[in-house]
Amino acid sequence: MKNKEIKTKGALHYYLQSTSGVVGAVLVLIMVIVAVCSIFGITPYDPVEQHIDNILQGPSAHFWFGTDDFGRDVFSRTLEGMRRSLTVSITAVSLATILGVTFGILAGYVGKWFDQLVTRVSDVFFAFPAILLALAIVASLGNAWYDTALAIGVVYTPIFIRVARGPVLTVKEMDYIKISRVLGFSSFRILRKHIFPNVFAPIVVQIALSLSWAILTESGLSFLGLGTQPPTPSLGLMVSDAQPLAAFAWWTLVFPSLFITIVVVGLNLVGDGLRDALDPARRSS
Amino acid sequence: MSLEIKDVEKLYKIVSTDTVIHALNGIDISLPAGKTLGIVGESGCGKSTLARLVTGLEAPYQGSITWKGLPIHDVNKGSFSTKKSVVQLVFQDPYSSLNPRQRIGDAISEIITVHNLVEKNMVETRVSELLSLVGLADDLKNRYPHQLSGGQRQRVSIARALAAEPSLLVLDEPVSALDVSVRAEVMNLLLDLRAKLGLTYIFISHDLAMIRYISDLVAVMYLGKIVEFGSWEQVINDPQHPYTQALIQAMPDHTVIGNPESLAKTLEGEVPDPVNLPTGCAFHLRCVKATPACAVEPQSLREISSNHLVACMEA
Amino acid sequence: MTQPLLLSVKDLGISTVQDPRTLVNQVSFDIGLGEAVGVVGESGSGKTLSALSILGLLPRGVEVVSGSVTFKDKNLLTLNNEELRKIRGNEIAMIYQDPMTALNPVMKLGKQLLEVIASHGGINESSQNQVRALLSEVGIPDVNRAMESYPHEFSGGMRQRIMIAMALLLSPQLLIADEPTTALDVTIQQQILALVSEARKKRNMSMLWITHDLGVVANLVDRLNVMYAGRIVESGTVEEIFRKPKHPYTAGLLSSLPTSTGTNRERLTSISGVPEKPWLVGNSCGFAARCSRAQARCHSEVPPTVITDNSSVACFFPLGGN
Repeated sequence: MKNKEIKTKGALHYYLQSTSGVVGAVLVLIMVIVAVCSIFGITPYDPVEQHIDNILQGPSAHFWFGTDDFGRDVFSRTLEGMRRSLTVSITAVSLATILGVTFGILAGYVGKWFDQLVTRVSDVFFAFPAILLALAIVASLGNAWYDTALAIGVVYTPIFIRVARGPVLTVKEMDYIKISRVLGFSSFRILRKHIFPNVFAPIVVQIALSLSWAILTESGLSFLGLGTQPPTPSLGLMVSDAQPLAAFAWWTLVFPSLFITIVVVGLNLVGDGLRDALDPARRSS
Repeated sequence: MSLEIKDVEKLYKIVSTDTVIHALNGIDISLPAGKTLGIVGESGCGKSTLARLVTGLEAPYQGSITWKGLPIHDVNKGSFSTKKSVVQLVFQDPYSSLNPRQRIGDAISEIITVHNLVEKNMVETRVSELLSLVGLADDLKNRYPHQLSGGQRQRVSIARALAAEPSLLVLDEPVSALDVSVRAEVMNLLLDLRAKLGLTYIFISHDLAMIRYISDLVAVMYLGKIVEFGSWEQVINDPQHPYTQALIQAMPDHTVIGNPESLAKTLEGEVPDPVNLPTGCAFHLRCVKATPACAVEPQSLREISSNHLVACMEA
Repeated sequence: MTQPLLLSVKDLGISTVQDPRTLVNQVSFDIGLGEAVGVVGESGSGKTLSALSILGLLPRGVEVVSGSVTFKDKNLLTLNNEELRKIRGNEIAMIYQDPMTALNPVMKLGKQLLEVIASHGGINESSQNQVRALLSEVGIPDVNRAMESYPHEFSGGMRQRIMIAMALLLSPQLLIADEPTTALDVTIQQQILALVSEARKKRNMSMLWITHDLGVVANLVDRLNVMYAGRIVESGTVEEIFRKPKHPYTAGLLSSLPTSTGTNRERLTSISGVPEKPWLVGNSCGFAARCSRAQARCHSEVPPTVITDNSSVACFFPLGGN
């Protein structure tokens, strides 16, 4: 226990020294707070409520981000959209992490036919563009948010397989693993205590980066009409709907796009910060 | 005899080229408990392969390795067994021998707790005991490997090996990666531990000076075979195989100085490709004493004087 | 020094760029024309950095902060990149521990060696023959086939020979060797040492040989500089250093080596402790903490380098008196 405390404190200390990491964390934190607000209904209006008298109003004291062509409050819809996006991408990335890291570590450690099988299958997945594959899966599953999450999760699993397997191959050849075997440690112990902690850092970084890609993928799917269905808002869907309106009602396009950008950039910066903080070699330099 | 290596062969298949490497070929060694066997040879001679077999990391293709009559592979099944072995291992590179994310104290106590070697409340005491045994301060327990010097790391590796209470320690180039001024201390430590704990060592090195310094028995290996075997006095002071003679001649020696001509007297050529071993004696292509018969007749060890074995017809 | 000077390093200081840490401090040494000088030191002693700074090849984040490196009559530290490039390879060549870093893995050997000539003045009809002659001089069998081969087709020892041929191609006046035999087997190491020694004599080429192994340089160089914690603690002829070491570190190092004769199972004379980091030495002798002769002033003053005849020592209490 004591060890863990000091170790995480160390990593946090280094993380806070990285400017990009701190900026990223602040951006992501704002977006998470925004999404939480929407969960508890702390939005100015109901996101699907139509204010017939106020169609396509610009930003004002009443409607901070203006209203869309149905008279719905863009601010409330953006918050709700952010919640949808985060829910879907966090679920998807969690799934991808659990599946990918398990298979990746086992493939790297066990090797032989199992490794062949796992890498071949993930190569097949890699051969398709992510959005296309997700599209195909969503089309065959359905439109519920968990279908989208499942589709994105499956698409991202091979990335985690690859990220986990590579370092395992390196670490497996280290002398301390051979020594562990001679010391009579069980395979499970070697995997858990000696291999996993040493492949942990790239996985954490990958989680941050994948979250940002997942948000883009979810938005893309919604944009194409295969994700969240109207009238429920999602950032991608809002951008899609705003397209014909953008010429005369810029706020319908700009605000949801801005939120996507902020959270994606934020997560990328967090990824950079984590990479620096978790790598002892980068720390010391 | 405590360690018996009988007619051991090891093959490696290279899948990509569909070829076979004979890493070890007919190795026979008997080592009494408490003695130190030095194994010397250049890269590719099979000395590290032998280390992996003796520690049970790999299984021989043929032959047997036993410790006090019990097969090593029953004593230590390697990866999938949780039995601790009588044979432990110390590697060359002190930087890859320790888990970088594990504190020194944890790295040692893990071995003790996994195998229930002492009562739970005595684990800490045992860790301190082991650290002081290898000459390290107790406060190193809370450090990570990267905070230690190479020499300190190597001492930790030795302490970890000792934590498993082995009888036989395989030391694979244990001081080669250390700073020159630190080597002597680690060698002295190995001497002290041997005397104190009655350990049996297999000391593997390319450095004949270190081999000479620590060994009772010396085996000289070339391309998977032992070409000379005997007491250290016999092998080092009275080498009979031309390869041993060349190795001794090539030893960088700081006691012979300012004599550039000494560089010229050296072995020609390089170690042949282990995939296509030469016929006859594997050394004949580089041997100054080679006769036409050497290219035909494979050589095996024969006793030229009491317990001094040489694989050369010209010796 | 009897020979005319070729290279003179004066008060060289090297340190890291960020939160400056001293890595090399006040290093001075000379190399005469045709002379072979060895630099012996452990990892972190600054031996490699000193040598790399001569050619302006310091790694990123490390810079020369003081001193001068005079080659013939030019201060190399003040030259720009283009001027240095002309000197590299042409007048000063370097060989490394890992030859693969010096050889292009995707270019045939013959072409690669001709490139070296081309980049420094141009190829003529004799260039091909020049390359062949050098390859056979360094002991490459079947030169014609070797010219058409790629670096990975050679063994470690052969690659090292090729790198030496490449270094000799433009007839440099100074060869800098950074532990080129450390990764090799002893019999191959011996071959390479013999080869370099022979090639050097033939060309009357000067040499700076960096190593951690005293045994390697014993029969190879004329003079020796011993480095410790970023400074040269002792320098002198090989004879002096090996037979009558003055600095306690040199003496300790020599007596800690197991010899090829004598008995075994005896404890070695050892130096306790670990080498000090150069930037932590401050106002003291870097070796003081490990030195059996150290007294109070060793911990509070930097011992000055005392020069006598052909040798120097930086110690308040040298062996054999002052």
